Amino acid sequence: MEDFLELLVSATASGCVYGLLALAYLVIIRPTSIINFAVGEWAASGAFVGVAVLSTLVWPALEWPWWSALLIVAAFGALVGYGTELLCVRPLVARGAPELSAILVLLGVLVIFREGNTLLFGASPLPSPAPFGFRRMLIGPFPGVSQQFLIIGATFGVFLSAWLFFERTVWGRAFEAVALNRKAAALMGIDLRMVGALAFAAGGAIAAVAGLLVSPLTSAHFLMGLPLATQGFTALVIGGIGRVEGALLGGLILAFVEQFGARWLPVPSGMTLAFPFVLLIGFLLFRPTGLLRAPETRV
Amino acid sequence: MSAPLLQVRGLTRRFGGLVAVSDLDVDLGRGEILALIGPNGAGKTTTFNLIAGVDRPTSGTIVFDGRDISRQPAHARAALGLTRTFQHNMPFAGMSLTDNILVGRHARFTGGLVDVILGARRLREQESAARRKADELIEFTGLGARVDADVSTLSFGEGRLLEVARALVSDPRAILLDEPAAGLTGAEVARLARIIADIAARGIAVLLIDHDMRFVLPLAHRAIVLKFGEKIADGPPRDIVNDPAVIAAYLGNSAGAAHA
Amino acid sequence: MNGRGVHALGWLAGMGVAIGLAFVLGSYHTDVYRKMLIWVAMALGFNFLFGVAGQIAFSHFAFASVGAYGVVILSHQLGLPFGLAFVLAIVICGLTAFIVAIPATRLEGFYLALATLAFSQLVRVTIDEGGALTGGTGGLANYRLPPFFGVDVRGPWYTVCLVLLVAFTLWILTRVDASWFGRACRAVRDNPRAAEAMGVDIARARILVFVMTSTLAGLAGIGYAYVDNVINPAVFSLENSFLLLFMIIIGGSGRHVGAMLGAVVLYLAPFALEPVAGNHYMLVFGVLIVLAILFRPDGLAGLLRITRPGKAA
Repeated sequence: MEDFLELLVSATASGCVYGLLALAYLVIIRPTSIINFAVGEWAASGAFVGVAVLSTLVWPALEWPWWSALLIVAAFGALVGYGTELLCVRPLVARGAPELSAILVLLGVLVIFREGNTLLFGASPLPSPAPFGFRRMLIGPFPGVSQQFLIIGATFGVFLSAWLFFERTVWGRAFEAVALNRKAAALMGIDLRMVGALAFAAGGAIAAVAGLLVSPLTSAHFLMGLPLATQGFTALVIGGIGRVEGALLGGLILAFVEQFGARWLPVPSGMTLAFPFVLLIGFLLFRPTGLLRAPETRV
Repeated sequence: MSAPLLQVRGLTRRFGGLVAVSDLDVDLGRGEILALIGPNGAGKTTTFNLIAGVDRPTSGTIVFDGRDISRQPAHARAALGLTRTFQHNMPFAGMSLTDNILVGRHARFTGGLVDVILGARRLREQESAARRKADELIEFTGLGARVDADVSTLSFGEGRLLEVARALVSDPRAILLDEPAAGLTGAEVARLARIIADIAARGIAVLLIDHDMRFVLPLAHRAIVLKFGEKIADGPPRDIVNDPAVIAAYLGNSAGAAHA
Repeated sequence: MNGRGVHALGWLAGMGVAIGLAFVLGSYHTDVYRKMLIWVAMALGFNFLFGVAGQIAFSHFAFASVGAYGVVILSHQLGLPFGLAFVLAIVICGLTAFIVAIPATRLEGFYLALATLAFSQLVRVTIDEGGALTGGTGGLANYRLPPFFGVDVRGPWYTVCLVLLVAFTLWILTRVDASWFGRACRAVRDNPRAAEAMGVDIARARILVFVMTSTLAGLAGIGYAYVDNVINPAVFSLENSFLLLFMIIIGGSGRHVGAMLGAVVLYLAPFALEPVAGNHYMLVFGVLIVLAILFRPDGLAGLLRITRPGKAA
């Protein structure tokens, strides 16, 4: 039982990280239809920037409190997203290039960030400090590591704000209007370029924060980006791109299948690596809209 | 008298509670120009999509050349000799003008990939026949001067002519024109009208939907008027313009101006 | 007719140079040259899939690994005659591609890329976990190409085989590209709705292209298997599929000459960049990709465009 509860906490924490990555995709896809595969590398960059701010491993004498690192990493991610949109995506949108061009440009951006991370921070993993250390603790009946509980709490915070943003603010409504009909939204006076830039900034910030949150458990490593990108995308496909909650649901399902499957299914441990891909293929083919439908398609 | 080339019987299409097309009959003979007209929202586009195979009817049949095509996909209808143009020009932007037209010949090539790779003689003959036909249509539509142009630089009117050439290159038996005059200048409309008359003179049946009456009525041999998805008149254009029901439904209250 | 003569002469000259190189290069450069030829063959096929037919798939190296592992396992692990193993490996590639293509080609745009990415990872996991049959992560070695009708195909003659592989790939793809089928593929890429209205069965065209190019990738994989007489999963990794995509974009997508240029330039670039950028040449590629898409969508081949007017990109 203890074992089960521990696995439950660990799977929930992983699911939250996948969910955050899925949310980073989602806030960009909704208004722009662009799949930004670079979010995984942005998460890695977020982790590295966090390590740089928090420890003496990269630059000496920058031992700031963890909360300030969270803010710096979020701002860094937003800046990265905004800059990428401005320099790489906007010119393509302006000349009416197909969406695929933007997606391919972002693959170039992915490579630039991955190589940039290696160049600046080296190829070996860097340990990332956790704000509450690595104490094992019990919350109610649930045993886990403090960082796992922090991830879960922070993720719920991020999703709650995202949900409030989309459901309760004028800007969120503008995002939705653009998602439903770009031309009509433009006629209504919504600045499409502004929405695009904000979407990328928000996606960048969410991805970078996700990277910072997970890094104490995995270390900051230049290879962490691609798995996060594919797992986040799988979570998005499972939950569906229609609704914010779908991203979190998809992330949790993916992590539960991965971790509980690895523990209890009678397959060789190497084969468990295949679970996310089987899920991804299955959902793409048989349930391409994901589990949760977008609000406007509910009749 | 033989059966008409295209026979539509009891064609109905519902979207949820809305009946877009209701129990519609249409006959189209060889070499005939038939205009499908009516105010916006009358069901013209829905009817067009059902006949072109982009949409499936709720009930009713579409028989083309003695064959029930109601459930056939769009590409199969094109292969049977029922081709179309688009209201908003849809060129293949990355291909030359000639190749754009040649795509329309697709279904006339027989043999598989192996024949292609081995360069089968029959294929070479089909290819040169296709190119002759494409050249002839470039001449016919007057696109000769633009044959080396990037298709994305064509004017809207030239793009429309490309649509027509692409739909004719397979020697179809019927051609569906979706608002062919929309967006054209006066001179272009006159040129297009001559081209459409020539097409019909070759024995090809033409079904066109449009709401520009000045374009349609002098050109068409027959017109069908739709209102709220139902046929309210069917006959020669002369009779149509004098039909009180038509005047009330269409000419009377809008005179070509669209109601939203 | 003159054009045809020039064309034939171009082929002859190209083949002459490519075969001649096989006999003059030293052993280090022969190794580089052979791998470059494999990349060119892979790029040609991928260009047809992505550049001509508009399908972005990350499964090209997975199919190369199916071909390579297929022939090595069948002929050396299971002891089948080489000719039979060769044919069977190609058939397995084609069948696998067909089974993948039927559902996958229904996916639009980048969703196909992600589904094929997942498929590639499944192939990778299968090879990693294949035990003695696939050699696991360590791969297979200690096999060699058996004599062909009593003649040992080795040294420059094996390089000639790889030149012929590239020529065969180019020949097939040029033929197909110039045909009604090539036009149908480009039409589906540019405007699926209009292509369908013109009588093109979109699903069929997409499946055929996927199977054809994936089988060609399998053939290139077989060619690779006997370059070093070693195969392991890392050789066919996802990274390589990305690199292949970059080769096409930088070379000029949709044109054979672009694919070949891109493959040669990006394969050789690391050797030139080594002294300047160390092993960060991928950073340079990333920047090039971004610049190419923003400013030169027709790639390096676009620079040659002046010499071939009327030929659409």
